[in-house]
Amino acid sequence: MRAQHVSALSVRSFRNIAQADVSLGPRFNVVSGDNGQGKTSLLEAVYVALTSRSFRATKIEESIAFGATQALVRARIDSDDGARWQSVGLRRGGRDLRLDDKRPRSSSEFATRAPVVVFHPGEISLSAGSGAERRRLLDRVALFSSPSAGDELARYTRAVRSRQAALESRGAGSSDLGEWEELSAVHGARVVEARRRALAALAEVAQSTFGELLPEVRFDLVYSATAPSDVADFASELRRSRSIDVRRGSASIGPHRDDLRLELGGKASRRTASQGQHRAIVLSLKMAELAAVGALSSLRPVLLLDDVSSELDRARSTALFSLLSRASGQVLLSTTRPEIIETTGDRVDFVVRAGAISPL
Amino acid sequence: MTTPKLRRLVQLLARLPGVGEKTAQRYVLYLLAADPSIARDLGEELSRLHETIRPCDECGNLAEADGQSPLLCQVCRDDRRDPALLCVVGRVQDLLAIERTGTMRGRYFVLGKLLSPLDGVGPESLPIPRLKQKIARDGVRELIVATPPSVDGEATALLLKRELDGVGIPLTRIASGVPHGGDLEFADPITMGRALSGRQRL
Repeated sequence: MRAQHVSALSVRSFRNIAQADVSLGPRFNVVSGDNGQGKTSLLEAVYVALTSRSFRATKIEESIAFGATQALVRARIDSDDGARWQSVGLRRGGRDLRLDDKRPRSSSEFATRAPVVVFHPGEISLSAGSGAERRRLLDRVALFSSPSAGDELARYTRAVRSRQAALESRGAGSSDLGEWEELSAVHGARVVEARRRALAALAEVAQSTFGELLPEVRFDLVYSATAPSDVADFASELRRSRSIDVRRGSASIGPHRDDLRLELGGKASRRTASQGQHRAIVLSLKMAELAAVGALSSLRPVLLLDDVSSELDRARSTALFSLLSRASGQVLLSTTRPEIIETTGDRVDFVVRAGAISPL
Repeated sequence: MTTPKLRRLVQLLARLPGVGEKTAQRYVLYLLAADPSIARDLGEELSRLHETIRPCDECGNLAEADGQSPLLCQVCRDDRRDPALLCVVGRVQDLLAIERTGTMRGRYFVLGKLLSPLDGVGPESLPIPRLKQKIARDGVRELIVATPPSVDGEATALLLKRELDGVGIPLTRIASGVPHGGDLEFADPITMGRALSGRQRL
Protein backbone atom coordinates (compact mmCIF):
# COMPACT_ATOMS: atom_id res chain seq x y z
CA MET A 1 0.00 0.00 0.00
CA ARG A 2 1.31 3.40 -0.94
CA ALA A 3 1.33 6.12 1.69
CA GLN A 4 -0.44 9.41 1.14
CA HIS A 5 -1.70 12.12 3.41
CA VAL A 6 -3.50 15.44 3.42
CA SER A 7 -0.66 17.88 4.08
CA ALA A 8 -2.62 21.10 3.87
CA LEU A 9 -6.25 22.07 4.06
CA SER A 10 -7.92 25.37 3.17
CA VAL A 11 -11.46 26.02 4.25
CA ARG A 12 -13.68 29.01 3.38
CA SER A 13 -17.22 29.64 4.69
CA PHE A 14 -17.77 26.04 5.63
CA ARG A 15 -20.19 25.64 8.57
CA ASN A 16 -18.79 27.82 11.39
CA ILE A 17 -15.29 27.95 9.89
CA ALA A 18 -15.08 31.30 8.11
CA GLN A 19 -11.50 30.83 7.01
CA ALA A 20 -8.81 28.33 7.91
CA ASP A 21 -5.50 27.28 6.40
CA VAL A 22 -4.04 24.34 8.24
CA SER A 23 -0.92 22.22 7.77
CA LEU A 24 -1.51 18.63 8.82
CA GLY A 25 0.97 15.98 9.95
CA PRO A 26 1.41 12.69 8.06
CA ARG A 27 0.41 10.59 11.08
CA PHE A 28 -1.72 11.66 14.05
CA ASN A 29 -3.58 14.94 14.08
CA VAL A 30 -5.49 15.58 17.29
CA VAL A 31 -8.14 18.28 17.10
CA SER A 32 -9.43 19.39 20.48
CA GLY A 33 -11.87 21.96 21.72
CA ASP A 34 -15.14 22.27 23.57
CA ASN A 35 -18.38 21.10 22.04
CA GLY A 36 -19.83 23.26 19.29
CA GLN A 37 -16.54 24.96 18.40
CA GLY A 38 -16.07 23.33 15.00
CA LYS A 39 -14.05 20.14 15.55
CA THR A 40 -16.42 17.95 13.60
CA SER A 41 -16.69 20.63 10.91
CA LEU A 42 -12.93 20.46 10.36
CA LEU A 43 -13.07 16.67 9.95
CA GLU A 44 -16.09 17.05 7.73
CA ALA A 45 -14.18 19.56 5.58
CA VAL A 46 -11.45 16.96 5.02
CA TYR A 47 -14.08 14.37 4.11
CA VAL A 48 -15.77 16.74 1.67
CA ALA A 49 -12.45 17.66 0.04
CA LEU A 50 -11.66 13.97 -0.51
CA THR A 51 -15.09 12.65 -1.50
CA SER A 52 -17.26 15.69 -2.41
CA ARG A 53 -19.81 14.36 0.07
CA SER A 54 -20.55 15.00 3.70
CA PHE A 55 -20.88 12.39 6.40
CA ARG A 56 -23.30 14.66 8.27
CA ALA A 57 -25.84 16.57 6.23
CA THR A 58 -27.97 14.83 3.70
CA LYS A 59 -27.90 18.00 1.62
CA ILE A 60 -24.35 19.21 1.23
CA GLU A 61 -25.54 22.79 0.68
CA GLU A 62 -26.44 22.87 4.36
CA SER A 63 -22.74 23.07 5.16
CA ILE A 64 -22.34 26.50 3.54
CA ALA A 65 -21.75 29.00 6.35
CA PHE A 66 -24.73 31.06 7.42
CA GLY A 67 -24.85 34.27 5.41
CA ALA A 68 -22.38 33.03 2.76
CA THR A 69 -23.39 32.10 -0.79
CA GLN A 70 -20.60 29.62 -1.39
CA ALA A 71 -18.09 27.50 0.47
CA LEU A 72 -14.75 26.04 -0.57
CA VAL A 73 -12.61 23.23 0.78
CA ARG A 74 -9.27 22.44 -0.78
CA ALA A 75 -6.82 19.72 0.22
CA ARG A 76 -3.21 19.20 -0.78
CA ILE A 77 -2.37 15.50 -0.86
CA ASP A 78 1.24 14.38 -0.61
CA SER A 79 2.47 10.98 -1.70
CA ASP A 80 5.61 9.45 -3.20
CA ASP A 81 4.39 10.71 -6.57
CA GLY A 82 4.46 14.31 -5.37
CA ALA A 83 1.74 16.72 -4.38
CA ARG A 84 -1.69 17.14 -5.90
CA TRP A 85 -4.79 19.13 -5.07
CA GLN A 86 -8.44 18.30 -4.69
CA SER A 87 -11.09 20.91 -4.11
CA VAL A 88 -14.83 21.16 -3.76
CA GLY A 89 -16.70 24.42 -4.21
CA LEU A 90 -20.23 24.44 -2.86
CA ARG A 91 -23.06 26.66 -4.05
CA ARG A 92 -26.74 26.35 -3.44
CA GLY A 93 -27.81 23.90 -6.08
CA GLY A 94 -24.39 22.62 -7.06
CA ARG A 95 -20.89 21.39 -6.39
CA ASP A 96 -17.78 22.24 -8.35
CA LEU A 97 -15.20 19.46 -8.16
CA ARG A 98 -11.55 19.85 -9.16
CA LEU A 99 -8.65 17.44 -9.32
CA ASP A 100 -5.51 19.52 -9.83
CA ASP A 101 -7.74 22.35 -11.09
CA LYS A 102 -9.34 20.11 -13.72
CA ARG A 103 -12.89 18.79 -13.65
CA PRO A 104 -12.96 15.07 -12.90
CA ARG A 105 -14.81 12.81 -15.35
CA SER A 106 -17.18 11.70 -12.64
CA SER A 107 -17.81 12.14 -8.95
CA SER A 108 -16.71 8.50 -8.51
CA GLU A 109 -13.34 9.33 -10.01
CA PHE A 110 -13.06 12.23 -7.60
CA ALA A 111 -14.05 10.19 -4.55
CA THR A 112 -11.63 7.33 -5.18
CA ARG A 113 -8.37 9.26 -5.68
CA ALA A 114 -7.66 9.69 -1.96
CA PRO A 115 -9.53 7.02 0.00
CA VAL A 116 -10.87 8.09 3.36
CA VAL A 117 -12.74 6.24 6.09
CA VAL A 118 -14.74 8.05 8.75
CA PHE A 119 -15.88 6.80 12.13
CA HIS A 120 -18.35 9.06 13.91
CA PRO A 121 -20.81 8.61 16.80
CA GLY A 122 -23.86 8.34 14.54
CA GLU A 123 -22.50 5.17 13.03
CA ILE A 124 -23.99 2.92 15.66
CA SER A 125 -26.89 2.89 13.17
CA LEU A 126 -24.70 0.76 10.88
CA SER A 127 -25.59 -2.13 13.16
CA ALA A 128 -28.77 -1.00 14.93
CA GLY A 129 -30.44 1.14 12.27
CA SER A 130 -32.23 0.61 8.99
CA GLY A 131 -30.52 -0.76 5.92
CA ALA A 132 -29.65 2.65 4.45
CA GLU A 133 -26.31 3.01 6.25
CA ARG A 134 -25.30 -0.55 5.40
CA ARG A 135 -26.19 -0.08 1.72
CA ARG A 136 -24.10 3.09 1.73
CA LEU A 137 -21.17 1.17 3.21
CA LEU A 138 -21.37 -1.40 0.40
CA ASP A 139 -21.78 1.31 -2.25
CA ARG A 140 -18.74 3.22 -0.91
CA VAL A 141 -16.54 0.14 -1.03
CA ALA A 142 -18.00 -0.81 -4.43
CA LEU A 143 -16.61 2.42 -5.91
CA PHE A 144 -13.16 0.89 -5.33
CA SER A 145 -13.94 -2.69 -6.35
CA SER A 146 -16.00 -1.94 -9.50
CA PRO A 147 -15.10 1.26 -11.37
CA SER A 148 -18.57 1.58 -12.90
CA ALA A 149 -20.46 0.99 -9.62
CA GLY A 150 -21.24 4.67 -9.05
CA ASP A 151 -22.53 5.07 -12.61
CA GLU A 152 -24.64 1.91 -12.40
CA LEU A 153 -26.21 3.03 -9.12
CA ALA A 154 -27.06 6.45 -10.60
CA ARG A 155 -28.59 4.77 -13.68
CA TYR A 156 -30.55 2.30 -11.58
CA THR A 157 -31.90 5.10 -9.40
CA ARG A 158 -32.94 7.17 -12.41
CA ALA A 159 -34.64 4.18 -14.08
CA VAL A 160 -36.54 3.02 -11.02
CA ARG A 161 -37.68 6.57 -10.19
CA SER A 162 -38.78 7.11 -13.80
CA ARG A 163 -40.85 3.94 -13.56
CA GLN A 164 -42.45 5.21 -10.36
CA ALA A 165 -43.18 8.61 -11.92
CA ALA A 166 -44.76 6.91 -14.95
CA LEU A 167 -46.81 4.64 -12.67
CA GLU A 168 -48.05 7.51 -10.56
CA SER A 169 -48.79 9.95 -13.35
CA ARG A 170 -50.23 7.58 -15.95
CA GLY A 171 -51.20 4.48 -14.00
CA ALA A 172 -50.28 0.80 -14.15
CA GLY A 173 -51.24 0.66 -17.82
CA SER A 174 -48.84 3.31 -19.14
CA SER A 175 -47.03 1.93 -22.14
CA ASP A 176 -43.41 2.82 -21.24
CA LEU A 177 -43.35 0.89 -17.93
CA GLY A 178 -41.77 -2.12 -19.62
CA GLU A 179 -38.84 -0.02 -20.81
CA TRP A 180 -38.17 1.42 -17.35
CA GLU A 181 -38.53 -2.01 -15.77
CA GLU A 182 -36.03 -3.52 -18.19
CA LEU A 183 -33.52 -0.74 -17.48
CA SER A 184 -34.14 -0.94 -13.72
CA ALA A 185 -33.43 -4.67 -13.88
CA VAL A 186 -30.32 -4.35 -16.08
CA HIS A 187 -28.68 -1.68 -13.92
CA GLY A 188 -30.13 -3.01 -10.65
CA ALA A 189 -28.56 -6.42 -11.26
CA ARG A 190 -25.18 -4.74 -11.84
CA VAL A 191 -25.55 -2.74 -8.61
CA VAL A 192 -26.19 -5.97 -6.71
CA GLU A 193 -23.20 -7.63 -8.39
CA ALA A 194 -20.95 -4.71 -7.39
CA ARG A 195 -22.25 -4.82 -3.82
CA ARG A 196 -21.61 -8.54 -3.57
CA ARG A 197 -18.03 -7.97 -4.68
CA ALA A 198 -17.73 -5.19 -2.08
CA LEU A 199 -19.11 -7.53 0.57
CA ALA A 200 -16.57 -10.19 -0.39
CA ALA A 201 -13.83 -7.61 0.16
CA LEU A 202 -15.26 -6.68 3.58
CA ALA A 203 -16.38 -9.97 5.07
CA GLU A 204 -13.10 -11.57 6.09
CA VAL A 205 -11.69 -8.64 8.06
CA ALA A 206 -15.09 -7.90 9.58
CA GLN A 207 -15.39 -11.45 10.87
CA SER A 208 -11.83 -11.73 12.15
CA THR A 209 -12.05 -8.38 13.96
CA PHE A 210 -15.33 -9.35 15.53
CA GLY A 211 -13.84 -12.70 16.55
CA GLU A 212 -11.06 -10.93 18.43
CA LEU A 213 -13.51 -8.71 20.29
CA LEU A 214 -16.22 -11.25 21.07
CA PRO A 215 -14.89 -14.73 20.26
CA GLU A 216 -17.83 -16.58 21.80
CA VAL A 217 -20.41 -15.65 19.15
CA ARG A 218 -20.35 -16.20 15.40
CA PHE A 219 -20.71 -13.12 13.18
CA ASP A 220 -21.98 -13.46 9.60
CA LEU A 221 -22.58 -10.92 6.86
CA VAL A 222 -25.17 -11.86 4.26
CA TYR A 223 -26.32 -9.86 1.26
CA SER A 224 -30.08 -9.99 1.35
CA ALA A 225 -31.47 -9.28 -2.11
CA THR A 226 -35.12 -8.41 -2.68
CA ALA A 227 -35.06 -8.97 -6.46
CA PRO A 228 -34.12 -12.04 -8.53
CA SER A 229 -30.55 -12.01 -9.84
CA ASP A 230 -31.71 -12.92 -13.35
CA VAL A 231 -32.45 -9.72 -15.28
CA ALA A 232 -35.55 -11.07 -17.05
CA ASP A 233 -37.01 -12.41 -13.78
CA PHE A 234 -36.22 -9.13 -12.05
CA ALA A 235 -38.09 -7.19 -14.76
CA SER A 236 -41.12 -9.49 -14.70
CA GLU A 237 -41.35 -9.29 -10.92
CA LEU A 238 -41.39 -5.50 -11.22
CA ARG A 239 -44.18 -5.87 -13.76
CA ARG A 240 -46.19 -7.98 -11.34
CA SER A 241 -45.79 -5.50 -8.48
CA ARG A 242 -47.04 -2.46 -10.41
CA SER A 243 -50.35 -2.10 -8.63
CA ILE A 244 -48.74 -2.53 -5.20
CA ASP A 245 -45.98 -0.08 -6.05
CA VAL A 246 -48.41 2.67 -7.08
CA ARG A 247 -49.90 2.50 -3.59
CA ARG A 248 -46.64 2.20 -1.66
CA GLY A 249 -45.00 5.09 -3.55
CA SER A 250 -41.84 3.22 -4.57
CA ALA A 251 -40.71 -0.06 -6.10
CA SER A 252 -41.15 -2.90 -3.65
CA ILE A 253 -38.11 -4.82 -4.90
CA GLY A 254 -34.63 -3.83 -6.03
CA PRO A 255 -31.23 -2.82 -4.63
CA HIS A 256 -32.72 0.25 -2.91
CA ARG A 257 -34.59 -2.17 -0.65
CA ASP A 258 -31.81 -4.74 -0.20
CA ASP A 259 -29.91 -5.06 3.02
CA LEU A 260 -26.59 -6.26 4.30
CA ARG A 261 -27.92 -8.62 6.94
CA LEU A 262 -25.74 -8.93 10.00
CA GLU A 263 -26.18 -12.09 12.00
CA LEU A 264 -24.95 -13.08 15.44
CA GLY A 265 -25.15 -16.81 15.98
CA GLY A 266 -27.48 -17.07 13.01
CA LYS A 267 -29.93 -14.41 14.26
CA ALA A 268 -30.41 -10.94 12.80
CA SER A 269 -28.36 -8.64 15.02
CA ARG A 270 -30.39 -5.52 14.40
CA ARG A 271 -32.97 -6.35 17.04
CA THR A 272 -31.32 -8.96 19.21
CA ALA A 273 -27.79 -7.62 19.80
CA SER A 274 -26.75 -5.95 23.04
CA GLN A 275 -25.21 -2.47 23.07
CA GLY A 276 -21.76 -4.03 23.43
CA GLN A 277 -22.38 -6.34 20.49
CA HIS A 278 -23.62 -3.45 18.35
CA ARG A 279 -20.40 -1.56 19.08
CA ALA A 280 -18.28 -4.59 18.24
CA ILE A 281 -20.15 -4.97 14.96
CA VAL A 282 -19.69 -1.31 14.02
CA LEU A 283 -16.00 -1.43 14.86
CA SER A 284 -15.59 -4.63 12.84
CA LEU A 285 -17.32 -3.09 9.82
CA LYS A 286 -15.17 0.05 10.04
CA MET A 287 -11.97 -2.01 10.35
CA ALA A 288 -13.12 -3.99 7.35
CA GLU A 289 -13.85 -0.80 5.37
CA LEU A 290 -10.40 0.53 6.19
CA ALA A 291 -8.74 -2.73 5.12
CA ALA A 292 -10.89 -3.24 2.01
CA VAL A 293 -10.57 0.29 0.68
CA GLY A 294 -6.82 0.14 1.33
CA ALA A 295 -6.39 -3.21 -0.41
CA LEU A 296 -8.58 -2.28 -3.40
CA SER A 297 -7.02 1.14 -4.01
CA SER A 298 -3.47 0.18 -2.96
CA LEU A 299 -3.45 3.46 -1.04
CA ARG A 300 -3.43 3.89 2.70
CA PRO A 301 -6.78 5.49 3.55
CA VAL A 302 -6.98 8.62 5.65
CA LEU A 303 -8.87 7.81 8.86
CA LEU A 304 -11.20 10.37 10.45
CA LEU A 305 -12.33 9.67 14.00
CA ASP A 306 -14.93 12.06 15.22
CA ASP A 307 -15.59 12.73 18.87
CA VAL A 308 -13.22 10.42 20.71
CA SER A 309 -14.46 11.58 24.05
CA SER A 310 -15.52 10.94 27.52
CA GLU A 311 -14.75 8.20 29.97
CA LEU A 312 -18.51 7.75 30.26
CA ASP A 313 -18.40 5.82 27.05
CA ARG A 314 -15.54 3.54 27.93
CA ALA A 315 -16.53 0.74 25.60
CA ARG A 316 -16.62 3.04 22.65
CA SER A 317 -13.25 4.57 23.48
CA THR A 318 -11.67 1.13 23.74
CA ALA A 319 -13.05 0.32 20.34
CA LEU A 320 -11.71 3.55 18.90
CA PHE A 321 -8.22 3.02 20.29
CA SER A 322 -8.13 -0.43 18.84
CA LEU A 323 -9.03 1.08 15.46
CA LEU A 324 -6.38 3.72 15.98
CA SER A 325 -3.68 1.20 16.70
CA ARG A 326 -4.31 -0.53 13.38
CA ALA A 327 -4.56 2.49 11.14
CA SER A 328 -1.15 2.78 9.58
CA GLY A 329 -1.87 5.93 7.59
CA GLN A 330 -2.86 9.46 8.43
CA VAL A 331 -5.35 9.89 11.26
CA LEU A 332 -7.37 12.97 12.16
CA LEU A 333 -9.29 12.72 15.37
CA SER A 334 -11.43 15.14 17.32
CA THR A 335 -11.88 15.08 21.06
CA THR A 336 -12.86 17.26 23.99
CA ARG A 337 -10.05 15.65 26.02
CA PRO A 338 -6.75 15.51 24.12
CA GLU A 339 -4.92 14.21 27.21
CA ILE A 340 -6.65 10.82 27.01
CA ILE A 341 -5.51 10.20 23.45
CA GLU A 342 -2.49 7.93 23.47
CA THR A 343 -0.58 7.88 20.25
CA THR A 344 2.70 6.45 19.16
CA GLY A 345 4.63 8.29 16.51
CA ASP A 346 4.29 11.76 15.00
CA ARG A 347 1.54 13.81 16.51
CA VAL A 348 0.30 17.32 15.83
CA ASP A 349 -2.23 18.98 18.12
CA PHE A 350 -4.77 21.64 17.16
CA VAL A 351 -7.29 23.64 19.12
CA VAL A 352 -10.59 24.75 17.64
CA ARG A 353 -12.36 27.70 19.21
CA ALA A 354 -15.38 29.40 17.63
CA GLY A 355 -14.44 28.15 14.20
CA ALA A 356 -10.80 29.28 14.43
CA ILE A 357 -8.15 26.57 14.21
CA SER A 358 -4.71 27.03 15.75
CA PRO A 359 -1.79 24.65 16.34
CA LEU A 360 -1.19 23.91 20.00
CA MET B 1 -24.72 48.67 -14.88
CA THR B 2 -26.27 52.02 -14.23
CA THR B 3 -29.35 52.43 -16.41
CA PRO B 4 -32.50 50.27 -16.41
CA LYS B 5 -32.17 49.52 -20.16
CA LEU B 6 -28.62 48.26 -19.73
CA ARG B 7 -29.61 46.16 -16.74
CA ARG B 8 -32.43 44.64 -18.73
CA LEU B 9 -30.14 43.76 -21.61
CA VAL B 10 -27.62 42.16 -19.25
CA GLN B 11 -30.35 40.11 -17.66
CA LEU B 12 -31.62 38.93 -21.04
CA LEU B 13 -28.15 37.87 -22.17
CA ALA B 14 -27.48 36.17 -18.83
CA ARG B 15 -30.37 33.82 -19.56
CA LEU B 16 -28.37 32.19 -22.36
CA PRO B 17 -26.73 28.87 -21.45
CA GLY B 18 -23.16 29.27 -20.26
CA VAL B 19 -23.47 33.04 -19.86
CA GLY B 20 -23.38 34.56 -16.38
CA GLU B 21 -23.97 38.18 -15.39
CA LYS B 22 -20.31 39.10 -15.75
CA THR B 23 -20.05 37.71 -19.26
CA ALA B 24 -23.38 39.32 -20.17
CA GLN B 25 -22.05 42.67 -18.99
CA ARG B 26 -18.92 42.14 -21.05
CA TYR B 27 -21.03 41.51 -24.16
CA VAL B 28 -23.10 44.63 -23.59
CA LEU B 29 -20.06 46.83 -23.03
CA TYR B 30 -18.45 45.37 -26.13
CA LEU B 31 -21.55 46.04 -28.23
CA LEU B 32 -21.60 49.63 -26.97
CA ALA B 33 -17.95 50.22 -27.79
CA ALA B 34 -17.84 48.38 -31.15
CA ASP B 35 -19.19 49.45 -34.55
CA PRO B 36 -22.96 50.11 -34.07
CA SER B 37 -23.73 47.91 -37.11
CA ILE B 38 -22.79 44.83 -35.08
CA ALA B 39 -25.52 45.50 -32.52
CA ARG B 40 -27.98 46.48 -35.27
CA ASP B 41 -27.37 43.36 -37.38
CA LEU B 42 -27.55 41.14 -34.31
CA GLY B 43 -30.81 42.75 -33.24
CA GLU B 44 -32.36 42.39 -36.68
CA GLU B 45 -31.40 38.74 -36.97
CA LEU B 46 -32.62 37.96 -33.47
CA SER B 47 -35.96 39.71 -33.98
CA ARG B 48 -36.66 37.59 -37.09
CA LEU B 49 -35.11 34.37 -35.76
CA HIS B 50 -38.35 32.56 -35.01
CA GLU B 51 -39.92 33.46 -38.34
CA THR B 52 -36.91 32.52 -40.46
CA ILE B 53 -35.67 29.39 -38.72
CA ARG B 54 -38.29 26.72 -38.12
CA PRO B 55 -38.37 22.96 -37.75
CA CYS B 56 -38.37 21.01 -41.01
CA ASP B 57 -41.87 19.63 -41.65
CA GLU B 58 -40.34 16.34 -42.69
CA CYS B 59 -37.70 15.56 -40.02
CA GLY B 60 -37.64 18.29 -37.37
CA ASN B 61 -34.16 19.55 -38.31
CA LEU B 62 -33.61 23.32 -38.52
CA ALA B 63 -34.83 24.79 -41.78
CA GLU B 64 -34.92 28.27 -43.24
CA ALA B 65 -38.41 29.48 -44.11
CA ASP B 66 -38.70 30.47 -47.79
CA GLY B 67 -42.47 30.71 -48.10
CA GLN B 68 -42.71 27.24 -49.65
CA SER B 69 -44.79 24.49 -48.16
CA PRO B 70 -43.86 21.96 -46.90
CA LEU B 71 -40.84 23.56 -45.27
CA LEU B 72 -37.79 21.35 -45.89
CA CYS B 73 -34.30 21.41 -44.37
CA GLN B 74 -31.04 21.06 -46.34
CA VAL B 75 -30.82 17.32 -45.63
CA CYS B 76 -34.37 16.56 -46.75
CA ARG B 77 -33.84 18.61 -49.94
CA ASP B 78 -30.64 16.75 -50.79
CA ASP B 79 -31.50 14.19 -53.53
CA ARG B 80 -28.26 12.29 -53.03
CA ARG B 81 -29.40 11.18 -49.58
CA ASP B 82 -30.69 7.63 -49.28
CA PRO B 83 -34.29 7.85 -48.01
CA ALA B 84 -34.21 4.14 -47.08
CA LEU B 85 -31.74 4.83 -44.26
CA LEU B 86 -33.22 6.80 -41.39
CA CYS B 87 -31.44 7.96 -38.25
CA VAL B 88 -33.50 8.87 -35.18
CA VAL B 89 -31.96 11.44 -32.84
CA GLY B 90 -33.17 13.14 -29.68
CA ARG B 91 -32.24 16.74 -30.40
CA VAL B 92 -31.11 18.88 -33.31
CA GLN B 93 -27.67 19.18 -31.63
CA ASP B 94 -27.25 15.42 -31.98
CA LEU B 95 -28.17 15.58 -35.68
CA LEU B 96 -25.58 18.32 -36.20
CA ALA B 97 -22.96 16.21 -34.40
CA ILE B 98 -23.64 13.26 -36.72
CA GLU B 99 -23.69 15.52 -39.80
CA ARG B 100 -20.21 16.81 -38.87
CA THR B 101 -18.86 13.28 -39.33
CA GLY B 102 -19.85 13.41 -43.00
CA THR B 103 -20.50 9.64 -42.93
CA MET B 104 -24.28 9.65 -42.66
CA ARG B 105 -25.70 9.15 -46.15
CA GLY B 106 -29.33 8.76 -45.07
CA ARG B 107 -31.87 11.11 -43.58
CA TYR B 108 -32.91 11.98 -40.04
CA PHE B 109 -35.85 12.13 -37.72
CA VAL B 110 -35.62 14.45 -34.70
CA LEU B 111 -37.76 13.34 -31.74
CA GLY B 112 -37.37 16.70 -30.01
CA LYS B 113 -37.34 15.07 -26.59
CA LEU B 114 -36.51 11.85 -24.82
CA LEU B 115 -38.74 9.72 -22.67
CA SER B 116 -38.47 11.18 -19.15
CA PRO B 117 -41.40 10.64 -16.75
CA LEU B 118 -39.53 12.55 -14.04
CA ASP B 119 -39.85 15.62 -16.26
CA GLY B 120 -43.39 14.76 -17.32
CA VAL B 121 -42.45 13.34 -20.73
CA GLY B 122 -44.34 10.13 -21.49
CA PRO B 123 -44.62 8.09 -24.71
CA GLU B 124 -47.59 10.17 -25.90
CA SER B 125 -45.36 13.26 -26.00
CA LEU B 126 -43.06 11.63 -28.56
CA PRO B 127 -43.86 11.96 -32.30
CA ILE B 128 -44.01 8.20 -32.84
CA PRO B 129 -47.07 8.21 -35.17
CA ARG B 130 -45.25 10.73 -37.42
CA LEU B 131 -42.16 8.53 -37.38
CA LYS B 132 -44.20 5.49 -38.43
CA GLN B 133 -45.79 7.46 -41.27
CA LYS B 134 -42.37 8.59 -42.48
CA ILE B 135 -41.01 5.04 -42.39
CA ALA B 136 -43.94 3.79 -44.49
CA ARG B 137 -43.93 6.72 -46.94
CA ASP B 138 -40.17 6.83 -47.57
CA GLY B 139 -39.73 3.05 -47.77
CA VAL B 140 -37.19 3.04 -44.93
CA ARG B 141 -35.20 -0.21 -44.80
CA GLU B 142 -32.92 0.46 -41.81
CA LEU B 143 -33.53 2.62 -38.77
CA ILE B 144 -30.49 3.79 -36.81
CA VAL B 145 -31.42 4.70 -33.24
CA ALA B 146 -28.96 7.40 -32.19
CA THR B 147 -30.47 8.53 -28.90
CA PRO B 148 -27.78 9.27 -26.28
CA PRO B 149 -26.43 6.50 -24.01
CA SER B 150 -28.09 8.08 -20.96
CA VAL B 151 -30.86 6.24 -19.07
CA ASP B 152 -33.53 8.37 -20.80
CA GLY B 153 -31.88 7.79 -24.18
CA GLU B 154 -31.76 4.03 -23.61
CA ALA B 155 -35.40 3.96 -22.49
CA THR B 156 -36.38 5.89 -25.62
CA ALA B 157 -34.44 3.40 -27.76
CA LEU B 158 -36.23 0.48 -26.09
CA LEU B 159 -39.57 2.19 -26.61
CA LEU B 160 -38.84 2.67 -30.33
CA LYS B 161 -37.81 -0.97 -30.58
CA ARG B 162 -41.13 -2.09 -29.15
CA GLU B 163 -43.25 0.43 -31.08
CA LEU B 164 -41.62 -0.48 -34.39
CA ASP B 165 -41.58 -4.19 -33.76
CA GLY B 166 -44.35 -4.88 -36.27
CA VAL B 167 -42.99 -2.54 -38.93
CA GLY B 168 -40.58 -5.20 -40.14
CA ILE B 169 -37.37 -3.20 -40.67
CA PRO B 170 -34.06 -3.80 -38.89
CA LEU B 171 -33.27 -1.38 -36.07
CA THR B 172 -29.64 -0.67 -35.19
CA ARG B 173 -28.22 1.16 -32.18
CA ILE B 174 -25.13 3.38 -32.36
CA ALA B 175 -22.07 1.88 -30.66
CA SER B 176 -20.44 3.39 -27.62
CA GLY B 177 -16.74 3.13 -26.82
CA VAL B 178 -13.26 4.58 -26.89
CA PRO B 179 -12.57 7.78 -28.84
CA HIS B 180 -10.57 7.62 -32.06
CA GLY B 181 -6.90 8.55 -31.81
CA GLY B 182 -6.95 8.27 -28.05
CA ASP B 183 -4.68 5.93 -26.17
CA LEU B 184 -6.63 3.17 -24.48
CA GLU B 185 -4.93 3.99 -21.20
CA PHE B 186 -6.70 7.34 -21.08
CA ALA B 187 -10.21 5.95 -21.59
CA ASP B 188 -12.32 6.11 -18.45
CA PRO B 189 -13.36 2.73 -17.03
CA ILE B 190 -17.04 3.11 -17.96
CA THR B 191 -16.32 3.92 -21.61
CA MET B 192 -13.71 1.15 -21.74
CA GLY B 193 -16.24 -1.30 -20.26
CA ARG B 194 -18.81 -0.35 -22.88
CA ALA B 195 -16.23 -0.69 -25.65
CA LEU B 196 -15.38 -4.19 -24.43
CA SER B 197 -18.97 -5.36 -24.13
CA GLY B 198 -19.75 -3.94 -27.58
CA ARG B 199 -16.70 -5.55 -29.26
CA GLN B 200 -16.91 -6.79 -32.86
CA ARG B 201 -15.43 -9.77 -34.66
CA LEU B 202 -12.14 -8.97 -36.41
